[in-house]
Amino acid sequence: MANIAAKRIKREFKEVMKSEEVAGGDIKLELVNDCWTELQGEIAGPPDTPYEGGTFLLEIKVPETYPFNPPKIRFMTKIWHPNVSSATGAICLDILKDQWAAALTLRTVLLSIQALLSAAEPNDPQDAVVAKQYRENPQLFNMTARHWTNIYAGGPTSVWEFNQKVQRLLDMGIDEHQARVALSTYDWELERATEQLFC
Amino acid sequence: MGFEIKRFQGDVDEELICPICSGVLEDPLQAPTCEHAFCRACITEWISRQPTCPVDRQAVTACQLRPVPRILRNLLSRLCTSCDNAPHGCNAVLKLDSLASHLVECEFNPKRPMSCEAGCGLVIPKDELAEHNCVRELRALIATQQGKLTDFQQELAEQRLTINEHKRELALLKEFMRAMRVSNPTMRALADQMEREEVVRWANSLARARVTRWGGMISTPDDALQVMMIKRSLSESGCPPHIIDDLMENCHERRWPPGLCSLETRQNNRRLYEKYVCKRVPGKQAVLVLQCDNTHVDEHMMVEPGLVMIFAHGIE
Repeated sequence: MANIAAKRIKREFKEVMKSEEVAGGDIKLELVNDCWTELQGEIAGPPDTPYEGGTFLLEIKVPETYPFNPPKIRFMTKIWHPNVSSATGAICLDILKDQWAAALTLRTVLLSIQALLSAAEPNDPQDAVVAKQYRENPQLFNMTARHWTNIYAGGPTSVWEFNQKVQRLLDMGIDEHQARVALSTYDWELERATEQLFC
Repeated sequence: MGFEIKRFQGDVDEELICPICSGVLEDPLQAPTCEHAFCRACITEWISRQPTCPVDRQAVTACQLRPVPRILRNLLSRLCTSCDNAPHGCNAVLKLDSLASHLVECEFNPKRPMSCEAGCGLVIPKDELAEHNCVRELRALIATQQGKLTDFQQELAEQRLTINEHKRELALLKEFMRAMRVSNPTMRALADQMEREEVVRWANSLARARVTRWGGMISTPDDALQVMMIKRSLSESGCPPHIIDDLMENCHERRWPPGLCSLETRQNNRRLYEKYVCKRVPGKQAVLVLQCDNTHVDEHMMVEPGLVMIFAHGIE
């Protein structure tokens, strides 16, 4: 790994560790390997959002050309959000792409991702299905996101109705996550979800 | 790229850190309006990818970058740092502005050029001195030089080939001109002129000679020995072929002008000899007195295209 990238990451790692966000439990950062090329981030779901109470893991890969190119970051925890792919965890955030600036750090990037959870940008979606629901049925979107947070990120709000519907599909022999994706996609209409799964 | 922050004594102010490499600013430049400062290498690299300030994304181009204010430079130059060669044992602690001059002469630089004292005299980096083997290095050197020599020899052979080709072409062209000359008066004039110029060029390429003893002149040289040797020497010196035979004829008193043709006339005209402009026949005790060099000499002392005088001795 290029010297400058490793030097920067070491320093940024220390910066994150000393930050008040870590002290407050907002973000966390861990090393995955000892050559500073791969890290694991963790952000807390922001309050007053459907993600509140959840803990979201992020995969951080540092390119050799860092900081001239942005780190590659994706959600490892499944999340229902217009700017995050529900399938791959890929994030649509300008600072991770063309708006990257060399003075940004892992700390500021993690905080930006956390801010993205509070303020989705449905006009620049990563997941068109989620974005459509966000725009057309915000209440249902809210519930779905809360449900996903409960199931995958350890959030507190269990949605009984959704759990029942997933269980119904589970009973038909459908994989649990597949069932949840289909139901979320078809606005929790059991029939359409079933139809799609069996066609 | 900036200096490793751990090398500095005490805390380094955040303002002296490059936001790109997170090292201490090295040869810093700043953006024009926002005045954010970066290492020259870092900001140049960044701007080549994206023409913005890496801190606030304001538009910046490479030519807009400015040197940082003196106060910032002064603060940087006052920082105390360890030497680059600290891992190799250098304990020097230096002000940042004297680091460069120290590095040039630092004893601990593992790459410092040293000359081998075991006999081969090659100059090698200090850290390779322990592994150094004179015989091996010299063998490698010989191998590369032999390679070069082979290349040169090949090139030489190729050049010779081309030169020979050129010579052949030239001969053909001359032949062609001779043929043209017979049939065309203008061409004849042109060719005559070219021949004259060729003689002048050749004459100018020869060294001046001085005859110290005119008495040593051999007026009836031996054809087989002396004349043939002179001819070869003239030919090698680049004598134009169209005059060489005439010149060789003019080695002998029987072809000499009225003022020289007998012992008696030669005695009478002795004082005129000093007027001759003589050229050395390379390597021989002989001089050329060419017409083109001696237009100032009386007619009865000169013949076309010139005289060859062979001496027993006395040529300088």
